[in-house]
Formats: sequence, structure tokens, C-alpha cells
Amino acid sequence: MMRFVDVTVTYRTPERTVEALRGVSLDLKPGLVTGLVGESGSGKSTMLYAALRLLPPQADSSGAILADGVNLLELKQHEMNRYRWKYVSYVPQGAMNSLTPVLTVGSQIDETLRRHLDISAPEARKRRNALLEKVKLDRLFANRYPHELSGGQKQRVSIAMAIACGPRFILADEPTTALDVITQAEVISLLAELVREQGSGLLLVTHDLALASSVSDRLAVLHRGLLAEEGKPAEILAHPVHEHTRALVRALGRTGGVKR
Amino acid sequence: MIAVTAAGILGPMMFSEPASTSVARPFAPPLWASGDAPPPLRVTLSGNETETAFEWRWDAPETITLTGDVLFSSPPASSSLELVLPDGGRVTLAGLDGARRRHIDIDGRDLDFRERLGLSPFDDAMKLLFPRNGRYRLVITGDIPPEQVEIELSAPGGAWGFLGTDQRGRDVFHLLLLGVRVSLLVGISATLLASFIGLSAGLTSGYVGGAFDSLVMRLVDLLLSIPVLPILMVIVGIWGRGLWQLVLVLGLFSWMGSARTIRSMVLSLREACYVENLRSIGAPTRYILFRHLLPEALPLLLATVTLGVPGAILAEAGLSFLGLSDPRIISWGRMLHEAHGFGAFTAGAWWLILPPGLGIALICLIFLDIGRALEEKADPRLSAGGRR
Amino acid sequence: MRSYWFRRIAGAAGVLLLVVCVNFFLFRLMPGDAVSSIVDPRFSPEAKAELRNLFGLDQPVCTQFLIYVRRMLTFDFGLSFLSQQPVWGEIKSRLPNTVALLGSAMLLSAALGTWLGVQAARRRGGRLERLVLFSGSVSFSFPSFFVQLVLLLGLAYWLPLFPLRGSVSIPPPTGALAAALDYAWHLALPAASLVMLGFGSWAIYVRNLMVKALGDDYVLAARARGLSERSIVWRHAFRTTLPPIVTIFLLSLPGVLSGAVITETVFSLHGVGKFLLDSILGHDYPAAGAAFYMLALVTVAANLAADAAYRLADPRIRLGRNGGD
Repeated sequence: MMRFVDVTVTYRTPERTVEALRGVSLDLKPGLVTGLVGESGSGKSTMLYAALRLLPPQADSSGAILADGVNLLELKQHEMNRYRWKYVSYVPQGAMNSLTPVLTVGSQIDETLRRHLDISAPEARKRRNALLEKVKLDRLFANRYPHELSGGQKQRVSIAMAIACGPRFILADEPTTALDVITQAEVISLLAELVREQGSGLLLVTHDLALASSVSDRLAVLHRGLLAEEGKPAEILAHPVHEHTRALVRALGRTGGVKR
Repeated sequence: MIAVTAAGILGPMMFSEPASTSVARPFAPPLWASGDAPPPLRVTLSGNETETAFEWRWDAPETITLTGDVLFSSPPASSSLELVLPDGGRVTLAGLDGARRRHIDIDGRDLDFRERLGLSPFDDAMKLLFPRNGRYRLVITGDIPPEQVEIELSAPGGAWGFLGTDQRGRDVFHLLLLGVRVSLLVGISATLLASFIGLSAGLTSGYVGGAFDSLVMRLVDLLLSIPVLPILMVIVGIWGRGLWQLVLVLGLFSWMGSARTIRSMVLSLREACYVENLRSIGAPTRYILFRHLLPEALPLLLATVTLGVPGAILAEAGLSFLGLSDPRIISWGRMLHEAHGFGAFTAGAWWLILPPGLGIALICLIFLDIGRALEEKADPRLSAGGRR
Repeated sequence: MRSYWFRRIAGAAGVLLLVVCVNFFLFRLMPGDAVSSIVDPRFSPEAKAELRNLFGLDQPVCTQFLIYVRRMLTFDFGLSFLSQQPVWGEIKSRLPNTVALLGSAMLLSAALGTWLGVQAARRRGGRLERLVLFSGSVSFSFPSFFVQLVLLLGLAYWLPLFPLRGSVSIPPPTGALAAALDYAWHLALPAASLVMLGFGSWAIYVRNLMVKALGDDYVLAARARGLSERSIVWRHAFRTTLPPIVTIFLLSLPGVLSGAVITETVFSLHGVGKFLLDSILGHDYPAAGAAFYMLALVTVAANLAADAAYRLADPRIRLGRNGGD
């Protein structure tokens, strides 16, 4: 289990100090999809960066993010590398720019594989092809450069990389923003399917309450750095407690229904 | 900056003679770094002295000057003015016999002087006169002692002035100060010319747009593709080396940068609201250009001009260094040219090399400093009007 | 794509044409007989008549111009006034020296500057970064020949570590290795001076590019993947900034050519730059025109090469958009 315990993150800028997260606690269980909903500025991306130890130097963090009992927040960067990707991986927001533009997609996947698993180049290639297949991309895509792929295809590549080393937990940051509705649905269902297949836990961060509630086993709402609500999606939608959640649910009612 | 300009204008006025006269021996080091260069020598015989002594512990001086008068009560049969060397040898500097009154005016480089010493026209008399360190004596010998003597033996010192002398014996400090004028003059006027051309081109091109704009931009690209220094060399070498020609040529080949900057600024401002408003009420193009866009462009232009001056100064210095400037005009680049070409290295005359170069660097740094400050000031005004 | 290249090459040809025009007309604008800009007045009348015929000087200007263009294209530059030898031969003998100087200086300063720029970008706000930014802006103000003269003074005169002038010692040492070492010894100070003057701007430029690249999303994603720092910096970030670096490298060639003229003069190297200067000072018009034409040729070639290299190095441009779902 991966546990966020009373996590607080503060950004120090010359003008002022911003509290991005204030004492947030959340549990991620393997095999389950946990949705984290909040609008921009609520601190949801900050939670992911904190878990991956990718916060910028001007951020101070306190509390604990426990991975099998080890507090990730207290690890040094090179120690953290042992956890990166094998324990917890990441599907970045805006896959548009998350792949290095000058390297072929295949070589990027290969590099990730060989970095964390001690395998030879031919073996890496085999696995890479298998991964591409899993995300329903033809293996020929490996020789393409990122700019030659559409948004949806790039997202699938990111997902392929995220599951490459069989991590226990996957953190997905707005994986469907900037995609059209049909592709959104495809990508989300793909992600959910793979996650359940592998038995990993997925933290799905999004601003789209409808999306999150349609696919999550548990739902959490983040508002201005505080955890406003947590529970089963159906319950939250039916009986929102927090003011902000209620507003979200109301907005939902106006724009679309719950898909479950 | 002010200090430099003042130095350039007032400094040369401090000197009584024009810079081109030679004041001391060539390649004399500065006084404060003279090392083991000999100090000036001045030995006199006056009244009825017939002998005086002096110590000499250095290399032979460049030359000596021997002047004065000797008066005898009656013409001596044999008498001479001699230099007694440390080892006892004697050299006759001038014969004094046969006349009651003698006037002496000898320069150590005179041909007849050297002939009298038994030297060929190519030999250096000084080596004969000052062969080693030691005690020398200037004596008047003869059968009758002189009645009245007023003689001076002098030699210029090995060192001179604040910054020494160049290969022609000119005071380097004086030359340095004169150089300020040239650098500033050429740098500023060339840049002004270039900016003027650039401003006109950029303003009209950016505002008018269309075919005219593309034409101007093509021209800019074309001119930018030509290697700068070689074409400057060719034109100056062929056309002439005058100062104003240099300014003209430099201006003609450096307007491209400011043209581009102004043009992009105009392009962004053109779409700004108030220009639209002006056009909609029917203001003529010229009006818009001059009364509105121009004042907007001025701060940026000022910054560009200031930043462009170092480029012009360096270009002038470069061309002068290569020898492609008027030899009659003293500029820092020219000084370095002469230092390189006329033997400063074999003489180890660092005072000919460091000051002009440092001077150029200093002026450039000053302009860059001012220019960058101006640029920062110009920037916020840009963002107020246009997009940025 | 094709039309792009067509336009670029047409542009390049235009520049060359302009240079040829400048050569042609400028030298003819000299006071005196236009002939004497091509034919040395000291030649015998028979030789003059023959050359007059050869260069078609009795023919109308247009024809002369066309002849001139043809000669430029075939590298037929005529005879030098000063040496009475074919100009092309003179240039050919000097070309290797200039190439050696410029090549080594450009590569070394680019390598050093790039490495420094990358390191400065990695340690933002560190001492190295401040040093790089400072020295870059200062080094612009010092005239190149001044720095070189000071170097000469310091390292060749006061401490006689290096030769004062020349490309090779006179007489040159025998044996290939000794000759090569001697050549390198003579080249060391000039090349070092150029590197000193040049690496500053490289470092600043690369540092700026790298700072931007290291802040980009894909670097963050790569870090999340736990890739090694070395790989992130060099294989990912640096490789992405490579296209503009290569372009600038090639585009710096024209500027370096100007520097070559000065450097070769300061150190008295036997190169094309000094040849240009000597011919201009000596009013050797055929030689000066030829040297200038060669320099312009190299400049134009460098511009075209820079364009091509950029397109080749950046797959986004090389392959164009052809994605689809």
C-alpha cells in the first residue's frame, strides 16, 4: 500500500509563500483505481510531484509518503531512483511534450527498460514490442519520432512506458486533457484495463469529475490544498458533504450524466 | 564616461608640443617602470673648473649633447676637452686649441664627430664613449687653463614620462589621450549614421509592409551574408583611408541590426489599438510615423545606438591595426599597428601595447554598460504599447 | 521542400554575384587606366597587349563582365602583381594553413564552450554560471588583436615558450613527426588565442539553450522515469539543443574568417587572410579580388551548410508532420 500521511508542501517565491498541500492524507491500494479530483491550483499535480520527488528546489515538504513503510520524502535523489518506475511510475500531463523530440519512441522505451531491468538490448526490444501491442499500437511506431504521432498515440506510448517495469503504483496526471472525447474514453479504459491486469494501484488525477467517477473505485476531492472529501464515487455524487464538492456535482448535473 | 571624454579633450591641451614631435629616445619605458634604464645625465663645467667626475652604471645612452663655451686668456697651443674612461683611456671630445674663444655644439650622432673619433659612419659613438660601468671624468687639458668655462654634457634619460615613448620617441601618454578623440568620433558618428539608416529603413519597412518590406529584408539578408572585415578591408584599401570615408563605410555596413530591431518593434506596435484608432480617423501615414511611432521607437533606438558604438570602435581599431587607416591620424588601433609592425616586441616595449588596448576595452565596456541600462529602460515601455 | 532549396541556392548565388560585381566594378573605379587593375603596368608592352587580348579588355564592358564571371567560376584568377605567380597557386599554398587554424580553433572553442555551457546550466545560480556570464560579456569588449598581442608579449617574449612569428620555423625541421610538432607549436598560440576569445559566447549561448531545455516537460518526464542524470543531460536535453548549436557553429564561420585575417597578421602566419591584407596594402588587385572572392565563397557555403545541417539534425523538420490516428 502507498500512503500519503499528512503531506504539506509549501512553495517559496520572492513575493509570497504558497501552501499547495495542507496536511493531506490518502491511501492507495494496489489493484484499485483512486480518482483525485480538483480544479487547477488545488494542488493535485503537487501531490504527484511530491510522490516522485520532482518538486522544484523552492518547495518545502513535510509529512510522509510511505512506500512499504519507507518515507519517500526523506530519501536522497539517487536512493529515490530505486523506487522510481519499479515501485511507482508516472503518466505525465500533456504527453504532447513529455517525450524527448529528438529520439525515436522506441529508443526511449528501450532506455527505460534497460535502466531499471538488467536485460540485454534484444530482450529490451522484445519487451518493447510486447508493450506496444498491449497499448494497441503497431510495433512499427517504435521507429517514429514523437512529433509524428497524434496526441492519442503519444499518450499510449506514455502509458506503455509507465507499465513497462510492472510498477506497484501508477500516478496518472490528467492523462486525457487535450484529447478528443472518443480518444479520451479509449485511453481511460485502456489504462484501467492494464492496471487491473497487472494488479497495480492507479491514482488518476483529473479535473473531470464525471471521468473520475466513471472509472474509479474510490474518489477523493482536493480543494485548495485540503482533502475535501473521500469515499466511494456513487456515495459522493449522491451525498456530497463539502461545499466545493456540491458545486462540482451540481455542475456535473448540468453538463452530463454519470456514465456508470 | 565623462572622465574619459574630459581626458580626451583636455588632456592633449596639457601638452605644449604636438604629439608628433619626438621627446625622448625611442622605446623609452615609463619613468615608474624604468628598471635599469639610465637616468638623464647632466654634467657641467662652469667658472674655472677644469675637471668634474660622474658615475655611470648603465648601458650607453642613445646620444650625448655637448654644448657650451670656453674662454681663454689667450689662444692655447694645445688644449682639448676630454672624457676620461674608468679604465684610464681618454677620448677627445672637442679640440680647443688655436682660438681664444670656443663654442661647442656637438651631438653624439653627428657624422663629423664620429669621424673625428675614428669611427665609420655606421658605428655608434656611444659604445666608444661609455664602454663600461665606472667613474668617468670630464676634463679640459692643455697648456693653459681656461679663464671661463660654461660647458654642459647631457644625455637623455632612458626613461620618459607616464607611459614611455614609441618607436619614434613620441610620448605615449600624449598619443593615448589623442586617441580618445578618434575612437569616440569614429565610433559615435558611424553608429549614428548606421542607426539613421536603420531607423528609416526599419520604420518604413515595418509600417508599409508588402513588397517594399520584403525587398528591404532581402537586402538586409544579402548584406549580412557578406563577410564583414574583408569587405571593409577591400573598400577602405581601394577607396582611401580617410577618417570620414571610414565612418561612411562602417555606417553603410552596420545598419542592418538596428533596422531589424526597429522593424519588429514597429510590426508589433502597428497592430496596437491606438494606431488603429488613428488610422480610422484618417490620419495620414506620415503623421502616424513621425508623431507616434517615432517617439515610441526612440528609447529603443537610443539603446541600440549605444550598444552599437563598441562594434564601430572595434571595427575601426581592427582596420587601423591592419594598417588600413590614415597614418597621420593617431588612433589606438594605429598605435597597436605600429607597435606590432615597428619592433615593439623585439624591444619588449609593453607600454606601447597594453595602454591602447586597455583603452579600447575600457571605452567599449563603458558603452555596453550604458547601453544595457538603456535597453532595460526601453523595454517596459515596449510592453506597454505592444505585445512583447 | 524543393522550392525551399531552390530559393536558398538562388540566394547564395545572388550573394556570390554581388561579390563578383563588387570585385569587378570596384577595382575598375580606381583612378587611372582600368587596364592597370588587371595588368601590371610594369609588364612589357607585348605582355600587356597579350593580356589585354586574353582578358578581353578591348571589348565592351558587358563582355568583360561575363568573361570575368567565367574566370571566377573556374578559379582562374590571373597573375599576382607582387609575385608574378598565378594567384590561384598562391591561395592554394596558403589555404591549408588557414583551414588548420580556423578548424582547430572553431572545434576547440565550440567544444570547450559547449561543455562549460552545459555545466553552467546544470548548476543554476552557481559560481560557474556567474563566471561564464561575466566573462562572456567582458570578452566582447577586448579587441581580438589586443589579446593576441598581449599573449605574444607574455608567452613569446617575456617567457619564450612559443615562437614570435611564422607558421613554421626557418629552416623547417626534417622528419615528418618533427615537422608536424613544429607546425603545431607555431599554431598553438594563435589557435589558443582564438579559443580564448571564442569560447565565452559559446558558453553563454549553450547555457541559455540548456537552461530552457532542462526546464522542458520531457526532461521532467525523463527524471520521473528515473533515468541517469548523465543520460538526461546529454542524451535528452543536449541532443535536443543540438540543431541550433550546429547551425550556429557553421554560421560562425564568416565571423571567424574576419578573425583569421587579424590573427594571421598578428602572428605572421602564412594564410589566406594575411594574403588578403598584403595584396590590398600592396595594391595587388587580382590577388585581393581573388582572396575576397574565396572568403565570400566560404561564407556562402557555410550559410548553406548551416541550413542543411539544421534540417538534418532536427527530426521534426527533417521528417515533417505526418502523424495520424
